[in-house]
Amino acid sequence: MNNMTLYVQRDSPVHRVDPLTKLLFVFISIASTYLVSDHLVVLGILLFTFAILLTGKVFKSILPVIGVSFLLIASIIIVQGFFHPDRTTVLFEVGPFSIYKEGFSIAFLITLRVVNMVSAFGVLILTTKPDDLVEALLQKGLSPRFGYVLLSVLQIIPQMVALTGKITDAQRARGMETEGGLWMRFKSFLPLLGPVVLNSLTETRERSIALEIRGFNRKGKRTFLNETEDYRYGIPLRIALVAFFITVIVWRVIS
Amino acid sequence: MKKKRMWTLQFSTAAIVLIPAAVGINFLGKLFASVLKLPLWVDAIGTVLASMLAGPIVGAIVGIVNNIVYGFTTDPVSFVYAITQAAIGIAAGIMAYKGWISNVGKAIVLGLVVGFIAAIVSTPLNIIFWEGTTSNVWGDALFAIMLAKDMPLWLASFADSIVVDVPDKVVTVLLSFLIFKGLPKNVKLMYDNSGEIERL
Repeated sequence: MNNMTLYVQRDSPVHRVDPLTKLLFVFISIASTYLVSDHLVVLGILLFTFAILLTGKVFKSILPVIGVSFLLIASIIIVQGFFHPDRTTVLFEVGPFSIYKEGFSIAFLITLRVVNMVSAFGVLILTTKPDDLVEALLQKGLSPRFGYVLLSVLQIIPQMVALTGKITDAQRARGMETEGGLWMRFKSFLPLLGPVVLNSLTETRERSIALEIRGFNRKGKRTFLNETEDYRYGIPLRIALVAFFITVIVWRVIS
Repeated sequence: MKKKRMWTLQFSTAAIVLIPAAVGINFLGKLFASVLKLPLWVDAIGTVLASMLAGPIVGAIVGIVNNIVYGFTTDPVSFVYAITQAAIGIAAGIMAYKGWISNVGKAIVLGLVVGFIAAIVSTPLNIIFWEGTTSNVWGDALFAIMLAKDMPLWLASFADSIVVDVPDKVVTVLLSFLIFKGLPKNVKLMYDNSGEIERL
């Protein structure tokens, strides 16, 4: 059932780092690439992120995730390469259009940043079970009600997708067209979505009764079912990350 | 009947359970749009519906959770747009509360406003993160044309977002409105915050 997440089960040092340190890494990695606008530094950060993914044995799994952002990257390169406001130096010409050096340089920088953003999140997403992340956040004081919301989404969506299969078949059996012209396809949108929405809203009623019975609204301190896993290298890694980030900020302010 | 309060952090259990369901509805809207090959995203029906049912704050939470979960499961870039989704939820929630969902005409106005707000919030994000593009072909074509004519970057980027967001949000709000009108009354009352009608 749990095919929603991108988590990859491996045994690696990255998997054994605690989720909050990885969260900190994601934030600092992305913020640094946007603070610094030097190609080499950004490339360095990106290569470092790749190195972590390789250590975590999940480098192959990040490629399709980067692929999802392909359209974004392509549009950045095309639009900025041809049309960036500071265009002066022609790099080379494609038919009637010319690619400008300034625009291409910026497009390249943004591409590096986007790939780094996706890969940095990849470090967190591919090597951390969502349950572990939410549990770590709960222990840091996240409201348990909110923790429930985050985790139940991951369970509800596959259920709803399964339900839509049934509804699509049922509506087709009643003669609904799901292929054809744009208007035809558009008209079938509501008959498909309506029953699923109604169904899931009615289900929320049962679910909230079930939760209330189990003391969902109880005040007071909660205990945890699972024992905390022994994560490693947490404190030194955090210190290193924060030190790096301070260096970046100082460097940015000075230069 | 006491009128329900718009701004409250005291969520009923039903309102909390509504959040994951609404995120699921967002997800399905997007899924159906791609299955039917519609040229729109329609990925905010759940957000708008939750705002109509349970107010702006629940709507905003749905928006944020939606993009976090989507970022976790499909495309990390969507983390960036969590703020846009939150703004959509807040805008739709306030206007729905003020009665802008009483008929189709008003719902279209609501859609236009939500679209504009989405564009206003997205533009700075687009400029900060990718110098103005949105990765929607039509919007980016317009963006390129405007840059080629030496118009300022922010204006071109805003136009880029408007072209994409306004039609999408008008359709989204209209669909949510039609679904909302079709809901049975006991479902609508379930998320009411007054706590007097039905306290689960």
